[in-house]
Amino acid sequence: MAQWKVPVEAYKGRILEVTIGRGSKAVKIGGENVFAFNQTFDEGQWPNSPKVAVEVWDREPLGWSEGILKVYGDSVKDPAQWTKKVVDELSPDLLFFYLISTDPNEEDRSPDEAARVVKAAYEAAGGVPFIVYGVGNDSKDPEVLRKVAEALKGENLLIGPAIKEDYEPIAQAAKDFDHCVSSQAPMDINLQKEMDVKLSRILPKEKIVLDPLAPCVGVGLEYGFSIFERQKHAAVSFGDEMMQMPMLANFSFEVWKTKEAKENEKMGIMWEEMTAMAYLVAGANILVVRHPETYRRVKGMIESYKG
Amino acid sequence: MVIIGENIHILSKAVSEAINNKDKTFIQDLAKRQAEAGVDYIDLNIGPARKNPEIMAWLVETVQEVVDLPLSLDSTNPKAIEEGLKVAKKRALINSASGKTESKEQTMPLAVKYDAEIIISVLNDQGIPADAEARAESILDAVSYANELGIENERIWVDPIIMPVSVDQKAVREALEFMKMLEEMLPGVKSTVGLSNVSNGTPKELRGILNRTYMVMLDLCGCYSAIADAFDQELMALARGEMSEIKELIRKVMEGEDVDPNSLPPKERDYVKTAKVLWGDVLYSHTWLEL
Repeated sequence: MAQWKVPVEAYKGRILEVTIGRGSKAVKIGGENVFAFNQTFDEGQWPNSPKVAVEVWDREPLGWSEGILKVYGDSVKDPAQWTKKVVDELSPDLLFFYLISTDPNEEDRSPDEAARVVKAAYEAAGGVPFIVYGVGNDSKDPEVLRKVAEALKGENLLIGPAIKEDYEPIAQAAKDFDHCVSSQAPMDINLQKEMDVKLSRILPKEKIVLDPLAPCVGVGLEYGFSIFERQKHAAVSFGDEMMQMPMLANFSFEVWKTKEAKENEKMGIMWEEMTAMAYLVAGANILVVRHPETYRRVKGMIESYKG
Repeated sequence: MVIIGENIHILSKAVSEAINNKDKTFIQDLAKRQAEAGVDYIDLNIGPARKNPEIMAWLVETVQEVVDLPLSLDSTNPKAIEEGLKVAKKRALINSASGKTESKEQTMPLAVKYDAEIIISVLNDQGIPADAEARAESILDAVSYANELGIENERIWVDPIIMPVSVDQKAVREALEFMKMLEEMLPGVKSTVGLSNVSNGTPKELRGILNRTYMVMLDLCGCYSAIADAFDQELMALARGEMSEIKELIRKVMEGEDVDPNSLPPKERDYVKTAKVLWGDVLYSHTWLEL
C-alpha cells in the first residue's frame, strides 16, 4: 500500500545567504525558503539558524544597568578590553559595535579616531565578526564608516545604517573595502524595497542586510513585528527579489531605555528576551541584545529548537 | 469611460487665487480647455468653503458662460453645494455625500430638492471602512437611506474611496474587487473614483502612468466614471477607448496570464509593470518601473 504523505506547500522565494566576517568565525545568515522555525515538514530548508550579536559601545557606557556593568567590570572603560571581555564571557556569534561617540551633537569624535577605536576592538575580538553602526547622521556617518571600512579592509564587516539620505557613499565604502551594508528604512516596506533597489545597483545583493527598525515591547513591537513578517512574506511567499536579503532586528537600545528596564534589571532582561523572541518568530536573521543573560537565554532557545 | 475633469481644484494655488480674486478669465480658460480635451463633466472643487459658500454660485455661473457641460459641485459643505444647485442650468452632480449622519441629513436631501445626481462614498461616521466587506456594508446602508428619500439608484454614483498605492497597496486591489461586485449589489447605480488619489505620495513624474493604468483596470471592473486630469492626453485617449492593445495587456495581467513586461516595447512594458503593482502581484516601491 502506498504510504500517505503530508501535503507539502512549497514557496516561491528564498532568502539570500549572506556571510559576515571572515575565517573560521564568520557567520552565515539567511538561505531559508520557509518561515522562521518552520521546518516541521518538508516545505523547504532553513539552513542557518538566527544569529545573536552583543552590543558594545566605543566609549564607557552611560546609564547602563548595574547588572550588565557588574559582569563586564572595569573593562567597559576601554572598548577593546570590553570587547575581549564579551568574547571571553559569551563567545557571541557577532559583536554590534556602536559608534555613539561620533554623534556630532555629543562627543563628535573624528572619523580617524573612530576607525582607530574600531580597529583596536576588532583585533581584541579574536575573529568574531563585527557589525559597526554609526549614529544615523547622514553627514557624519558616511565619513566615519568610510574610515572604518578602510581601516578594516577585507574583514567583511556589516556596516550601517545606510539610509535614504546617505546610502550612496556608505554602500560605496562597503564595496570599495569589501564589507556588507545594512539597508535601513523607517518601518516602511515600500521604502525598504526602494532602498534595496538602489543599494543593489552599487553592491551585490548578497552583501546587503535589511534593517527595518525594530521597536521593543511597549513602544510599538506589534508594528515592527508586522513589518518583519510582511517583508519575509514578500520575499518567501511572493518571491520578490528585492526583499530577499536577511533581516537585522536591533532593539537593545530601545529596551534599556524603557522605564521598566531601567528600574528593574530582571524585568529588563525579560523585556529584552521577549522582544528577541518576537522578532525571531517574525523572521529576523540577526538580533542585537545588550544583557549577557539575554544572550544566553535567547541562544539557548535557538539551540534547543535546532536540537 | 465618463471623465469628470478635476482641474478646477482649490488645492491648486493658481485656482485658489483665481477664485479669491474672482478672476473669470482664468477659470473660464481652464473650463474651456477641459471641454476641448473631451471631458464629460467639469468638477468645481472649492473645499469646505466655510466662510464663503456662495462662491460656488459664482463659479457655476462663470463656467456656464463658456461651456455647455454638466457640472460636478465638489465641496464638503452642503451650503456651498446648494448655492451651486440653485444656479446650475444642467442637471448637476453633487460631489459628494456619504454614509455620515451629517451627510445623510444635509447633503442627500439636496438631490431630491434640486433633482440632482449624487456621488455617495463608502465613508461613514467611523471613517473609511477597512476592507471590501465593510465598504459594501457601508454603501448598502447609505444607498438604502438615499432610496428612502426618493433618490433612485440611477441617479447615484458610488465612490469606493481610492487609497494611495504608496500607503495601502492592498486597498487599491480591494477597490477593484468592490467595483466588480457593485452592479450585483446595487443594480443600476453608477460609480466614480477620485482617480489621482491612487498616485498621491508617488514622485510627480510617475503619477500619470499609475493614474492611467488604474483607470483602465477600474474600467475593466465595470467602473462608470473617474474624476481625473483632463490634461493627460493619453488618459483621455484611453478613456475614449483608444489604445485597445494596452487595455488588452492590462486585462491579461488581471486574469493572471503570464505576461513578461521585459519582452514588450517600453510603453507597453511600463503599463504591464504598473498593472502588476496595482493588482498586488508585485510589492510597490517608487522604483517599480526600473525593475
